[in-house]
Amino acid sequence: MEIMAETINTEIIGKGLMIGGGFIGPAIGIGLIGGSYLQAVGRNPEASKFLGQALIFVALAELFGLLAFASIFIVQ
Amino acid sequence: MNNFLQVLGATGPTVHVAPAEVLRIGGISITNSILYGWICAAVISVLLIWVAHRVAVKPRGGFIQFVEVGVEFITNLVVNTFDDKKVGRKYVPFFVTIFFFILLNNWLGLLPIVGEGLRSGENPLLRPFTGDLNGTFAIGLVTMLVVYGASVKEAGGLGKYLRHFFVGNPKNPMFFGIGLIEMFTDLTRVVSLSLRLFLNITIGEIVIAVFAYLGSVAAPVTALPFFMLELLVAALQAYIFTILSVMYLAIAVNHSSHPEEENLITGGETDTIGAKAA
Repeated sequence: MEIMAETINTEIIGKGLMIGGGFIGPAIGIGLIGGSYLQAVGRNPEASKFLGQALIFVALAELFGLLAFASIFIVQ
Repeated sequence: MNNFLQVLGATGPTVHVAPAEVLRIGGISITNSILYGWICAAVISVLLIWVAHRVAVKPRGGFIQFVEVGVEFITNLVVNTFDDKKVGRKYVPFFVTIFFFILLNNWLGLLPIVGEGLRSGENPLLRPFTGDLNGTFAIGLVTMLVVYGASVKEAGGLGKYLRHFFVGNPKNPMFFGIGLIEMFTDLTRVVSLSLRLFLNITIGEIVIAVFAYLGSVAAPVTALPFFMLELLVAALQAYIFTILSVMYLAIAVNHSSHPEEENLITGGETDTIGAKAA
């Protein structure tokens, strides 16, 4: 078991899981926001003025992905 | 965490994320990000004062018109967020200042001389001001202090402002607990505003560095699309920082201008008793 622990670089695995797991949520969220916005515009073209509000929610969702990216520097 | 962080190990591209000391004046260390922050603040002040003296009724195009469009955009945004337009107009100058300060700092931080281009010893001589957590935390702290001060002033006293956090009677333990959590949520806004701006700018820097490294000889070609993306992200983050702080202020102010809503919660019973008597 000691040999196993030396050969497997857990740091890389941890960072990879962190990036992958951390980015999947915001990616889905931003996709849903964009899809809903386009649906709303398709149904009612006057709703296109709410692009700014949609972008706010994109930024709110994006923060969690960036937090996951920033946390990889803490993993040793 | 020493004085710099290396991305992708020793063989890949090196990006110095943490601020490093470049000179020392009277025992106070001046880091590269605050140095560039001062340069940018001076440049922005001179540029915008120059523009303000040249605004004409008939637009001449160019940079002056770009500033005019930006100011009008943020003015409309701030004024339309408030229920009372007169209250909104009072806070327009502050938010326009914040918007242009962040926008131009982000864009000036993308210049090739900033970052790894110029070096003093091991560390870069200049770093973007918004790419340093200390800088964005200062911007977020000042913004939220102004927002809290304005909210207390518009609510008419600290007690009335704190009363907004409680949906019902504060003596009820459940409403009291929810109110405390609401207050804590309000305090985390400083951190979330500053972290969002800092991480977006820093990660943009890292992405540009990584793709310039991957391109090796053709570095300008591979880094250009991400540079363009960062131009967009810089503008978007300045806009989002401004609109979020405007909304934090508008929530507190709009609430205090509706006294009848509180009567529905606290004085609802007296109304029904009066209706029965009538």
